[in-house]
Amino acid sequence: MEQKSVLVVDDEPIVRESLQDWLEDTGYQVAVAESGEEALKIIEKQDFSVMVLDIRLPGKSGMTVLREVKAQRPWLKSIVITAYPSAETTDEAKKLGAIDYLIKPVIPDDLERLIRETIESVGREPTVTAKVEIRPKPPVVEVVEVKKAFTITKDSLKSLVESLAEEMEVVGVKSRHGKYVYDRIASFDELCLDYDVTLMPPTKYLLPAKETLLRFKVGDGSKVEPVIEQLPRAIIGIHPYDIKAIELLDEVFMTTNPDPNYIARRQNTIIIGVDCLNPSPKSFAPCMGTSLTETGFDLLLTDISAAYMVTVGSEKGASLLERYAEVREPTGDEIAKQKAARDEALTKYKLSLDVPKERLPKLLEESYDDPYWESRSETCLSCGSCVMVCPTCFCFDVKDEVSLNLKEGERYRQWDGCMLGDFAKVATGENFRHDKASRLRHRIYRKGKYILERYGKVGCVGCGRCAIACLADIASPLEAFNAIAESAKIKEAARRIIREARLETELYVPRLAELVNVEELTPREKVFEFKFKDREELGHKPGQFVEVSVMGIGEAPISISSSPTRDGTFQLAIRKVGNVTNALHSMEKGAIVGIRGPFGNGFPLSALEGKDVLLIAGGIGLFPLRSLVQYVVDRRSSFGRVILLFGARSPAERLFLGELAAWSQSPEIEFHETVDKGDENWKGNVGVITTLIPKVDFDPRKTMAVVVGPPIMYRFVIGELKKKGLPDEQIIMSLERRMKCGVGKCGHCQINSVYVCQEGPVFTLAQLRNLREAV
Amino acid sequence: MKPKVAFFDFTSCEGCQLDVLNVEAELLDLLAAVDIVNFREVKTEREENYDIAFIEGSISRESEIPRLQKIRNQAKVVVALGACACIGGVNCLKNSLLMAEALRIVYQDDARYYDTMPARPIDAVVPVDYYVRGCPISTEEFLKVTKSLLLGKKPEIPNYPVCVECKMAGNVCVFERGMFCLGPVIRAGCNAICITSGRYCWGCRGLVDDPNVDSEKDILKKYGLTVDQVTERFKIFNAYQEVAK
Repeated sequence: MEQKSVLVVDDEPIVRESLQDWLEDTGYQVAVAESGEEALKIIEKQDFSVMVLDIRLPGKSGMTVLREVKAQRPWLKSIVITAYPSAETTDEAKKLGAIDYLIKPVIPDDLERLIRETIESVGREPTVTAKVEIRPKPPVVEVVEVKKAFTITKDSLKSLVESLAEEMEVVGVKSRHGKYVYDRIASFDELCLDYDVTLMPPTKYLLPAKETLLRFKVGDGSKVEPVIEQLPRAIIGIHPYDIKAIELLDEVFMTTNPDPNYIARRQNTIIIGVDCLNPSPKSFAPCMGTSLTETGFDLLLTDISAAYMVTVGSEKGASLLERYAEVREPTGDEIAKQKAARDEALTKYKLSLDVPKERLPKLLEESYDDPYWESRSETCLSCGSCVMVCPTCFCFDVKDEVSLNLKEGERYRQWDGCMLGDFAKVATGENFRHDKASRLRHRIYRKGKYILERYGKVGCVGCGRCAIACLADIASPLEAFNAIAESAKIKEAARRIIREARLETELYVPRLAELVNVEELTPREKVFEFKFKDREELGHKPGQFVEVSVMGIGEAPISISSSPTRDGTFQLAIRKVGNVTNALHSMEKGAIVGIRGPFGNGFPLSALEGKDVLLIAGGIGLFPLRSLVQYVVDRRSSFGRVILLFGARSPAERLFLGELAAWSQSPEIEFHETVDKGDENWKGNVGVITTLIPKVDFDPRKTMAVVVGPPIMYRFVIGELKKKGLPDEQIIMSLERRMKCGVGKCGHCQINSVYVCQEGPVFTLAQLRNLREAV
Repeated sequence: MKPKVAFFDFTSCEGCQLDVLNVEAELLDLLAAVDIVNFREVKTEREENYDIAFIEGSISRESEIPRLQKIRNQAKVVVALGACACIGGVNCLKNSLLMAEALRIVYQDDARYYDTMPARPIDAVVPVDYYVRGCPISTEEFLKVTKSLLLGKKPEIPNYPVCVECKMAGNVCVFERGMFCLGPVIRAGCNAICITSGRYCWGCRGLVDDPNVDSEKDILKKYGLTVDQVTERFKIFNAYQEVAK
């Protein structure tokens, strides 16, 4: 008989072939059979160490095969696999000589270990006992490997937690007012590992409610330093759905524009998860694929009554077990208990999605105008409870706080959320999601569509916290998804190790720039010229923006008004509308401000080159557009015709008078100008900017239009351009939004799944057609 | 030059001014940053030349109106201090009575020596620039507003409900503890201090700009309050707004 030979009997080719490949790679000789009859024929001619047998087979059933094998080859050990476990079949299988059983889908590691142990424990001695062999208790493990599962006693777990507490802060789940909360754990006995759901998710340790980003000094000796906390901490008892939420946050904060504060916290955090065996009645984690996890943790516990199973998820987790705990290989029975516990937990969920989660993005896409949003949001208190308790919500606001001597202070971020009324409100007063219905829809779209599309991870982990927290009972994404599925008449029956993220502390730290010149444009508007203290260039493209900091006051997004072709300095034309702009307006030459950026995409220069360009600016829309006008003028030969249209409300509100005059004289630019309302001295055009468009003759086949102005202007200008036959792809616009962080994190500038500060602020009309809420 | 700051009180308990003095750790810094020229609780000297006026109390007598107007005319910036000045506060509870009856209840036989009128917040009489809310004010917020004024920055006072800060504090929801709370429609900024201390929100900071009062009332009813009880609860601090609606 071959020392290590396995016969795999399964009618499903995928199972048969994958097990064969896996076992052969691990060093076994493998034969396969697709039916009971074929298996019996093979066994007649050849001996095997172990048979892996599917119970449900076409023709002769697995049980019949077991019975016949027991008569012919009583020494052959069998491991039964089944997708449909029941006490009866497993008991009977054991009576018929099966050593153990596994539940489909079979984890190859588990099967391989079971086969190895079966061969090692039984040797070559044939046995005819009908009882399940009680294998000797495996020795205590010395080498712990990632992805393996072990058995840990409650005492050993206790000493693990206590050893950790000597080295770092340990937080875990505690009971408070009959609810569960994450808090510091003083002793192991306080720790609760069997709970339904916590009030607040553990993500608060990675993204605290309030967190200092920078500390600064203003005035003489001004400086700005990043503040980054690096406190080692272990979080014990995180349920798989929250682990999935942390995996999303890792994606958001550790990939593009890696966030130094998050990275420092994340890399200093040990995650010890625990399987949720008694879920909250409001949870629907299985529907979101988050009730179990194989990744995202250092260690994961499963309560199997007498002990815990512990699965190793990372090198960090492996070393913890090696240093602080005694673990041993689990017995087959313990593995089965783990499975049974997990399976039983699944039966305890009360809520389910009426559609597969994979269909949610499409379903939501088609339900944008559903009356559901309006009716469902009627009782919304805009209290933000749903977003505050959500583990996948990560939006924030950024504020400055100074000491009373006004000489030093800090810039901090604080939780914010799209369900709060002022979340998308900009300094000018415009609120881009002013009504409750659009806020509710945005949140549900984030949960079911935007986050998935942007980060490739589910945006809702089905924890049910929002549904518990919402006093108006309207917050549950599950209910929203199901209601939409219902109204769309679609009803269908219906599981990473932290990457090496580099800690770069500079993300939120502004570079110091000196104000070298100020010029008043109107009583409300000034143009400011800056130079970096380190004399470096800004390195921008026309149409990009920067975040301007006045330390102590705050930070504001400002479009760049000068072209990179005019080197050395850069200009920002600024209207006085909010705290930061007010502070800027009171500044004089020599003042120091902070600059982050440039940010955003800028105007699509390569798409404009070689084309006729029609530039349309309304009011202070000229501020960003001026950077492009200058660019085009400086590289005049790269472009065809250059037509510039500018409209101001009144002659007094015209901007850059010197440049306007120069452009109107220039043979290189066709310049047309109008004012909404003239005065006694005004001799030019009167009328809104749209009245200029019919007067200009351009070839829609080779013209690119670039439009920048107040939100209200776009609709009308687009209408006129379409009358001229200009295709959507050739109409380019720059959008205004509340771009608080500039690095695609804080969430304030989001339109549907797009972050204006990242993919924008410049878009083609063709792009915007698919972006509702844009104009 | 240091701005000159004055404190005034109208119908109130003067508790908010006492809280200003409670800044303790930062009191010396505060005194270094501003000149306090008028503060009855602290000093007897008075100066009628000031830049910033902090005003505590609601307006409940005719004679208070010209006094308030005079302060408004003098001050560059007027800041309402505390619930009485900001939203009328508890003084407005009497507004549902006839004034003669209110006088009789309080002063009985001596009622004829006093006059009164329905109480109102100071912005019902003169324009107010900024508000430091609460009963009593939070000293933290008072300092925040003061620093903003010194910087020439508009103070950032939350326009979202108490629930936000209550969640940040990690509290178990008052409704889940079998009590009733006005937090979902009341302006945050207090760090949900009452709930964190085991009580519930009484509404002393006033409503947010766009409160969903109907939904809040439905919720209070759903959790077992009668319409009258709901109204009574709102009226404790927000009687003035309740009538205005």
